[in-house]
Amino acid sequence: MSFISKTINWARMKSPWIIHFNTGACNACDIEIIAALTPRYDLERFGVLLKGTPRHADVIVCSGPVTKQITPRLKRIYDQMASPKFVVVVGTCACSGGVFDGCYNVESGVDAVIPVSAYIPGCPASPKAIIDGIVKLLSSLEEKETKAAKKDKKKNG
Amino acid sequence: MRKVIIPIGPQHPALKEPESFQVVLSGERIMEFSARLGYNHRGIEKACEERTYIQDIYLTERICGICSHSHSSAFVQAVEDIAGLEVPKRGLYIRTLIGELERIHSHLLWLGVAGHEIGFDTLLMYSWRDREVVMDILAMLTGNRVNYGVNTIGGVRRDIDADQLKQIAKAVDTLEDRTKYYIDIATKETTVIERLSGVGVLSHDDAIRLGAVGPTARASNVKRDVRKDDPYAVYAELDFKVVTDSHNDVYGRTIVRMGELLEAYKIIRQIVKKIPDGPIAVKAPRKIPAGEAVSRYEAPRGEDVHYVKANGTEKPERVKVRAPTLANIQTVAKMLEDRQLADLPIVIAAIDPCFSCTDRMISVRNDGQKRANMMKWEDLHTYSIEWYRRKGIDFSKVNEKFKKAVK
Amino acid sequence: MAEEAAIQAELIKKFPFLESKVRVQRARRIYTEVGPEKFAEVFDYAVKNMHFCILCTITGLDEGQVLSFIYHIAREDGTVLNIKRSVPKENPVIKTITPYFFAADIYEREVMDLLGAKVEGLAPGKRYPLPDEWPQDQYPLRKDWKTPSKGTEAKQNA
Repeated sequence: MSFISKTINWARMKSPWIIHFNTGACNACDIEIIAALTPRYDLERFGVLLKGTPRHADVIVCSGPVTKQITPRLKRIYDQMASPKFVVVVGTCACSGGVFDGCYNVESGVDAVIPVSAYIPGCPASPKAIIDGIVKLLSSLEEKETKAAKKDKKKNG
Repeated sequence: MRKVIIPIGPQHPALKEPESFQVVLSGERIMEFSARLGYNHRGIEKACEERTYIQDIYLTERICGICSHSHSSAFVQAVEDIAGLEVPKRGLYIRTLIGELERIHSHLLWLGVAGHEIGFDTLLMYSWRDREVVMDILAMLTGNRVNYGVNTIGGVRRDIDADQLKQIAKAVDTLEDRTKYYIDIATKETTVIERLSGVGVLSHDDAIRLGAVGPTARASNVKRDVRKDDPYAVYAELDFKVVTDSHNDVYGRTIVRMGELLEAYKIIRQIVKKIPDGPIAVKAPRKIPAGEAVSRYEAPRGEDVHYVKANGTEKPERVKVRAPTLANIQTVAKMLEDRQLADLPIVIAAIDPCFSCTDRMISVRNDGQKRANMMKWEDLHTYSIEWYRRKGIDFSKVNEKFKKAVK
Repeated sequence: MAEEAAIQAELIKKFPFLESKVRVQRARRIYTEVGPEKFAEVFDYAVKNMHFCILCTITGLDEGQVLSFIYHIAREDGTVLNIKRSVPKENPVIKTITPYFFAADIYEREVMDLLGAKVEGLAPGKRYPLPDEWPQDQYPLRKDWKTPSKGTEAKQNA
């Protein structure tokens, strides 16, 4: 399957709702995430909707190097999401701490606090990279679902 | 008078919630407001002491993603002062150009965010679409949309050619047309005027007493602008005016920012015309001689102050940063005094705060209640729009009108 | 530089003990250092009589035996006067300047949190910028406080 048809496929079967969470970032990645929703990049054409509450979200999109104050709230928001849930980290700071790696008030990356499904590096990650990352994550999910579905079919005969 | 705010959103009654804002209401009126800051405290000043000057340029750039060039320029200016370096004119012109482009992208961003906070989402979409014009120019000149990395100690790292200058001039023409339309909307649409007027009032005297900076102060007729008062880069050679307004409210802040956009276009046109030939940087020593300097820069949000102390090594002894939002946040309590809760989102948005919009938690307590209810920013945003809709302020018709008129 | 020289002359005339302590670094930048007993007087004069009506910020520094505080005050014409005062590290007590500048509140809380200064006269309030759980006697900006290594390198070497 070509990339385009793959994309259209999962867009049909899954319309991921995301919640955005800033863990102490400089805001550059956050602006690029919101820019990804504006007309030029238009993440909404993939069915991605930005939601306000974690209870409705499938994917949490995190930016920022995770300051100490934020850590308990990040954990709590993750716990409140219903499974299956995925964590996408945007920006080098969220991946590994970025330029703030080793600073005293910083945990150095989201994966120090919650398990991460996809890393989108960049300082900041451009909207194109963000779309690419989310699409890749969801394509990989579709493959997993297809594999699981095939397995079930085999089992059930 | 015993109206209780119903909380929606993530909270666990047993765990202590590190809320950012605390509001005490009597009915719907705000009696007390206080902010707990520090969520974005990453320990940058300490980190600056542990890194070299060149590394610190990139670190200070990331203090804030929207005024990144402001912070790195302020830092670099202080270091150049200590080392006694004279940056070549062309380098200064390029630094100023990027600074003004940053101001444009920041104000357009603010316009969109303000539109979103009052329920005028079409404005968000259109102003951010226009902002992409500026982002393209910045990406063309510096290689990145944000965090340009264009400063170095002694000048700038990238030069511009004649063709790029032509493109900048063209982009400025397009943006000026669109900005004039936004100004039209702000000054003629009654819904917008009603929604923004009389909200977030800060008198002239209070603005001075509380130490407001930037557009927040200028909208209260405080004529302070570091570009004019304490000129840096090439501002002393450029012709522009300091935009002030006497409405003292969020409407005034909108007018000031729109005015500054027009001035920015004027400045950029002058830069494109007057930029001299020559080198773009002087060589800087790795070890900066002992000394100290204070550098002030007019970031889009207001006065940014950097203090640097050098000790003769390749790492600074002390770097102190005072970002403009820290000065303005202290005026918010005054602006919210005796106002209703529904005004909180736009009042805070109007100082153009440089902390993230989505992780703010608000603790709302009513007079006589012992425990506070927690609201997420999103909930307050929805509450605010609903409150005004019940009063007849609704942007759905304006949205339609806007879409038809803007191409 | 006529303005700056005039300011320098006025300060020395009013406070002869400042002779040789007032330095004009460049246009619009003047630095001076005042001992603890005379600080309040000099500060009061600069703000009330010399029109230094804008507080840019307060910088705290760890200078070995002492903690120093530089008060950066500016005028409408862009001149910045930087007044430095030092107190012994074992007893770093300074009085608040909030009666002159309301905004000093947050800058004073900052030096309390990050350097361990004790500012007298501040209204009760929340700390800034460190988190509530941060231990009371740890002052990150002091020179002898080392950032614990726990970054990516430390994670990899663990």
